[in-house]
Parts: sequence; structure tokens; C-alpha cells
Amino acid sequence: MRAKSRWLALLLVLGLVLVACGGDSGTTDTTAATTTTEAPGDTTATTEAPDDDDEEAPMEIATDFGVDLDAGVIRVGMLSDLTGPFGPLVSAIVAGAQAYWDDVNANGGIEGLQVELVVRDTVYVVDNHIQFYNEIKDDVVALGHSTGSPHTVALNADLIADGMLAIPLTWYSGWSDSSMNSNLLSHGTPYCIEAMNTIGYLTTEHLDGASTIAIASLPGDYGQDSAAGAKLAAEAAGLEIVYDGEGAIIPTDESAITSVANGIADSGADIAWVATTPGTFSAIFGQALAAGYQGTWSGPSPSYSPAYVAPDSPIKDAIAASFVGGTYTASWVDSPQWHDLILDAGLPVSDYYFEGIIEAKILEAALRQAYANGDMTRQGVLDAAKSLESVTFDGLGPDESYVGADNDRLQRQGYIYVPDPEGLAAGTSGGRVDVASLYTSDLAANYEFTGACYTLAG
Amino acid sequence: MRGRPLLYTSYESDQSMLNTTTKKVVLGAFLAFLVLLPFTGGAASSGDRLFDFSIPFVGFLSSNDYLQLLATVCVFAIGALGLNLLTGVAGQVSLGHSFFMGVGAYTAVWLGAPEGPLLGMGLPIWIWLPAAGIVPAVIGLIVGPTAVRVRGLYLAIVTLGLVFIGEYVFRNWRSLTGGSQAGRSFQELDIRLWKEEVPLIEISQDGPWLSTNGKAFLMMLVVLAIFTVLAKNLQRSRAGRAFQAIRDRDVAAEVMGVNEFRYKLLAFGISSFYAGIAGALLTAFLGRTIPERWDLILAVQFIAIILIGGAGTVSGTLMGAAFVIMLPRVVQNFTEWLKGAIDEGGFISVIADPIVATSANDTGIINTLPGVGPGLSVLQANQVLYGLLIIGFLIFEPLGLYGIWLRIRNYWKGWPFTY
Repeated sequence: MRAKSRWLALLLVLGLVLVACGGDSGTTDTTAATTTTEAPGDTTATTEAPDDDDEEAPMEIATDFGVDLDAGVIRVGMLSDLTGPFGPLVSAIVAGAQAYWDDVNANGGIEGLQVELVVRDTVYVVDNHIQFYNEIKDDVVALGHSTGSPHTVALNADLIADGMLAIPLTWYSGWSDSSMNSNLLSHGTPYCIEAMNTIGYLTTEHLDGASTIAIASLPGDYGQDSAAGAKLAAEAAGLEIVYDGEGAIIPTDESAITSVANGIADSGADIAWVATTPGTFSAIFGQALAAGYQGTWSGPSPSYSPAYVAPDSPIKDAIAASFVGGTYTASWVDSPQWHDLILDAGLPVSDYYFEGIIEAKILEAALRQAYANGDMTRQGVLDAAKSLESVTFDGLGPDESYVGADNDRLQRQGYIYVPDPEGLAAGTSGGRVDVASLYTSDLAANYEFTGACYTLAG
Repeated sequence: MRGRPLLYTSYESDQSMLNTTTKKVVLGAFLAFLVLLPFTGGAASSGDRLFDFSIPFVGFLSSNDYLQLLATVCVFAIGALGLNLLTGVAGQVSLGHSFFMGVGAYTAVWLGAPEGPLLGMGLPIWIWLPAAGIVPAVIGLIVGPTAVRVRGLYLAIVTLGLVFIGEYVFRNWRSLTGGSQAGRSFQELDIRLWKEEVPLIEISQDGPWLSTNGKAFLMMLVVLAIFTVLAKNLQRSRAGRAFQAIRDRDVAAEVMGVNEFRYKLLAFGISSFYAGIAGALLTAFLGRTIPERWDLILAVQFIAIILIGGAGTVSGTLMGAAFVIMLPRVVQNFTEWLKGAIDEGGFISVIADPIVATSANDTGIINTLPGVGPGLSVLQANQVLYGLLIIGFLIFEPLGLYGIWLRIRNYWKGWPFTY
């Protein structure tokens, strides 16, 4: 049975190829490429080349999914958490990406092709993530981002099977490991390195004589990767870990949040490193403050929200006086060259658009390279992306490279910032100002990367 | 006796599942359609098709992503059938359905996942799937005696407790569940005789004519068909009648000689069995699960399925599952259609404009550019709609979709003499 059906399939494919090649040469090039998806580019390129005059068709572009040369459109998928725990942050990231692509499109697009975003709201639920991926995968050439690590891990096998490129909107250190990232383009400092940088900065440049640290995090890749980095940083800086709440923060569990807050307050640590969502961070911060905690607060980028220092925020002054954070992109204040693009799109001032622009610029580089290679199939875009030696972001973030050994291309440069309530109230900043740009701590600079700091089991 | 639709001459024909010719024909045609559907879609990777035609009007359902949605519908329908037996037929409100689904899922994972850093025994599906029903059923029977002593609101609270206990255990049992927000993979739908390399029936790869989702859909459809027949059968048996007697008035039922404790326990056990199977299939089908998946929201979703479909009816439950799972997609497509209409202009755009916001400065109920302006995202709009539907059905059509179907059916039964 199996052999028979294979022959039948083969016959069908051959038939399709014959039909595709039999038509008049002017219009068949794209249809042939779209129908014979098994081996798209090669068939057309070889059969068409002798027939065509050089002036009429300067270059064949192979396509399969998400690129329509006739309509002049490239479709890019975005699996975003727009209404879940990271909703406010990711919404701004999507808005930033949209504003950037609008600008690219207005200036001729990718070699004349307009880029369209196909956005789906996953609400940070793995099931939705998989479902929406299946819904949009045949309409898009790549994923502009994929929010969340367990979500992205869940997709990884599908991504590999489909030859689909995705930019993870998560800074899990595993994405820098070539055994996991065959279809992923990581960017920015991983959580673990971010913790090393930020705690390194705190102990060497910001605080005098800090000797203790309290660490608390969400369970899972994000929180525990960050906590792993914080522990390495604490050891390097000679800090004693007086409270270890790695994985102890459960967003749905009020009592867990209270116990973490009390744990931090009772420890009286000089530094509190908290890797969590904005909603739970403000709860822990408030409760620990009420219990008399007076140390310095710090955490990775997703812990912080500019809403903390909004004019009507009750914790505005306390946060402004005691928080130092780490992140991946330059702040609004330090990126005046990008203000017009955002403001012209009718968007309010925020620091989070830049992550969207960075993602868009990585993808733009991949798409342009794929076009230059003449292969805009999904696999072609993936191959082009994996050959990018340097992607630059015009002051928004450190350059990225996608070739070379893991340890060499691991991103170690990040940003350290403090809250900026005055700027936010005046509308001149997104709520933070950088105190160190492209910063690398000694530990991060010398850290030998051999794989994820925190292993996702199973 | 042909041509006299409501005349039954024997108890068997009165009680038979398909008691009219129309029912047999319609169900047969519908099943044939469902079985044919994935074949008209073809294999996703090669595009080869066994039948080179598409079914009119609903042919779009044969695409890969809709097949996935339909397979999900089947899985949810299995779970909902279980809750329907407990809540709809036996009248015991349970908010703990997601707990039993989780127990089923992790039983399947433990037995079926390959050996590795996390717990797993690599056993074939014919072991882990039944086990995924039996283990929750046993747990249901163990916690049952506590639960069946109380009724109504108190029972709801007891079962609610199960969900939170379960979530706590799932989150912290890292060697089994992979831990909170991390979870673990489980893609083992392939049918194997034992642990051989090449499976007997391979679900996880595209075949010559069927896509992965097409195969999975057919598999889920078969399982659903089996469980539907079982549920329907149970409902018209001695146990089913006992369930209904307890639902309608438990004291009266006991006076009539129905052993209330025993039948409530039985309902609990069977319902948990269904839930466990559904949980296991859902996990194996989607390929990954995190402990937070088995939360209260999932349990409420099942309550919604039953209420919208029509409590106490098997066909209503199936309709409810299809409705609740497909609703987000319908809202999504409808929003996109409205958006397209606005771009084109014309009559529809006048109505569509206040509903959909298309740019940062536009206002509308549904915002297609979330985070940029005010308005609900498509998914939020869906949730609002969801709530409104539950309230609407409770007030206007307590029999749910089944009630609407019943009225349509009765209208056409008397046509053209309907009054």
C-alpha cells in the first residue's frame, strides 16, 4: 500500500511540475514555485532560465509560503501575549514593530514588497500558541516573534519541521545554544547574563559595601534562568544569599507572594533581585516595604513597568529611590533618532517600542538577504537569517551576529537603568533613564557559555 | 409501520438510539462528511489529495488548521460528555473537571513519555490511554465519598478545592510535570504495539494523503464516537435513570429504592474517567502541557460547554463543544471580514466602523491593533461574548443549543402546517 501510494504521489508531483512548466513562460514562474513545495526553487530556476530573456526577468525569486510576488506582499506572523501577564509590554512591542514596518513599507518595502504583520493574541497560553501557529503558518514566511519560552519550546519541533524562522520574544539563555536554536534568532542579553550585568553594576558602581542578596523568581525558564545568573553573580561579587526564593513566586497564589515579600523583608538583604511579572513585582515590593524592607531593588526587564512611576502610582517615590534594573534596549531618552518614527505613528512615549523595532530589523535583514539570494521560501529566509554576520540597530541595542561559535556570539552587552518619574510625568521619557549603556560586568565578560544556565527539563 | 414517525411497536425501537429513519440518514451523512473531510484537505507538506475535490460551503474546514481545531473540538467533547453525565444527567455541579483532566494527562505522560530526565516509561498508547481514564476514575472514587455527602453549592466548593490542590501538586511535582511555567513535551499519538521504532500507525507525520492534523482528527473522531455511544447507552440504562432520579429529587429517588450514595459515586467515577481520557488526548495532541493548564478557567469552560449546549443531552454537549471551541475563530474571522469591509467601503463599512478600530486614532469596540488605542482585543471580545452567551442561554434558552435544535426540528416536522 505504502509503496503504491508513494508512486502515486510521485506521479502527481511530476504531473504538477509538467503542468507548471507547460504554460507560457511569462507567468508560470511563481505558480510553479508555489505548487511544488517539495523542491521549490530548483525546479523553476533550471526550467525557466533558458527560456527567458535576461532583461525581462532579471532574477528568479523562489517562494512558497507567505510571500506573494504578484501582489507584492510578504506576510510575517506574530504570536504575541497582548492580554496576558505581559500584555502591556508586548502590545507596545507589537506597536513598535508595526510602526517600523509601516516606515519600511512607505520607503519601498523589501525590494518593493510590502510587509504585512499577522498578529495573534496567545494570552501567554501554550495551547493558544500552538493553535494560532497552525492557523497562520501557511500564510506567513517567518515569525516576527514568538512570546514565551515554554511556548516557543512547544513550537520548536514544528518550526524545524516547517523550516520556519522565529524570533523568540524571551531571553532564555537556551536560545543562544545552537542545539536548541536551529530555527531561532536570539537577541539581547539572556536573562542569566542580564542578572550578572545588573548585579555586577550594583556592587561595583552603585552601592558601597553590599554584602547580602535576596533572590526571588517565578518558576520556569524566565525566572529561574534569571535566578541562576543572579546566584553566579552573587558568588562572584562575594554576596551572601540570605533569602533564596527561586521559583517561589506563583502569580495566582497570594499567599506565595506574601511569603516571598516577608522572606525578603526578614532577610534584610542589601539587594533584592526579583524576576517576575510587573503585577506580582509591585505586590511583593509593596508588601516588603510595608514590612520595613529598605534595601535596593533590582530585577530583569520584565519585572519593571513604567506604571510604577506614573504620577498616580502609590509606590512612585519608593521605586524611584530604590530600584536599578537591567534591560536589552536603549531607553527613549537616549534614542532621539527614533522619536519621529514613533510619534508620527500616533503612539505615546514608551521605551518598549524599541524591542519591536529590533525584532523587525533582524527580520528585515534576513528578508533582504533572502531576496538577494533569490530564495524567499521559508527555508530560504531561515538560511539567509542564519548567515547574517552582523545586524546593527542604529543605537537601539548591541549588534548581533548569527554565525560562529555559541560562546563567541553570546550577547553580553546590556543596559542598566533607573526609574524616571519626572520624565514620565513630563512626557519626555518612557519612565526610565539609562545609567550604563552597552554595559558588561567582569563576570559576564568572562563567562564561558556551554549551554542554558537553567535547563528546561523535558 | 413506515411513514408513522412517532409510532413505536416495541420497547426496543422506542429506546433505540436512532429511533427514526431521518436520524439514521442525517447522522450517517454527517459522519461520512466528517470522515471524508480530512481526505479532501490532503497532506500539508505535499498537497497530494486522495479526492481531488472540495466539499461545497464547508470545504475550507479541510485545511490543516481547521482540522486541528476540529480535533480539539472532539477532545473537548469527550471531556464535556463526562461532565454532562455528572452535572447534566446526575445533577451534581462539579468545578473540579480540570483536576481530573490534569490527573489523566499526567498519568498518560508518566506511562507514555519516553524515558529521560523526567518520569516516563515509554509505553504504547493502548496502555497509557485507558490508564489515563482509570487513574482519575479511581481518584474520583476516593474523593467521591466526601463530595457526595454534600450537594449544590457545597459540592461546587468541594470540587473547586480539588482544582487548587491539583494545581499545587502539578506545579511542584517537577520530576513529572516539568514544573510551573516550564511544563514538558508529550507527543505520543502514534499507535505502537510495544516500544518499536516504527509505529504501526503513524499520526505524528504527514502521510501520502492525510496531514498530521487530519490523522489526529480522525483518531479523535473515532474515540469520540465510542465515548458518545457509551454515554448515550449509559443514559438510557438503569444507572442513567437512577442519575436522573437523583438529579430531579434525591430524597424521592432514595424513597424509590435508588441507592443515592452508590450512584452519585458511580457518576463521579465515570465522569472522571471521561475527563482523564480528554486530558490525556489533549496533551498528546498539542504536544506540550504546563501545570497551569489545568486550572479553574478550563473547568468553567466545560461548564459553559454544557450550559450552552444544553445540560443533560448528549447531542447538545457535542454541539456545545463545537460552539465553544470554534467561537474564538468565528469572532476572529468576523473581525477580519469587517476590517476588509471597512477598507472596501460601502454599506457594511458604515455598520462595521464603530465595531472595529483599524488605526491608532480610530475608536471601535474591537481593536485590531491591540495596545495602540482603546478597545478590546479580538480575544477579549470573544470572552465578553462568551459571558453574554452563557447569561443569554440561561435566561432565554435553558435547553441550550439542543433546545434551539429541538424547536427547529419540530418546526420542520409539522411543515407546512406549523402553528
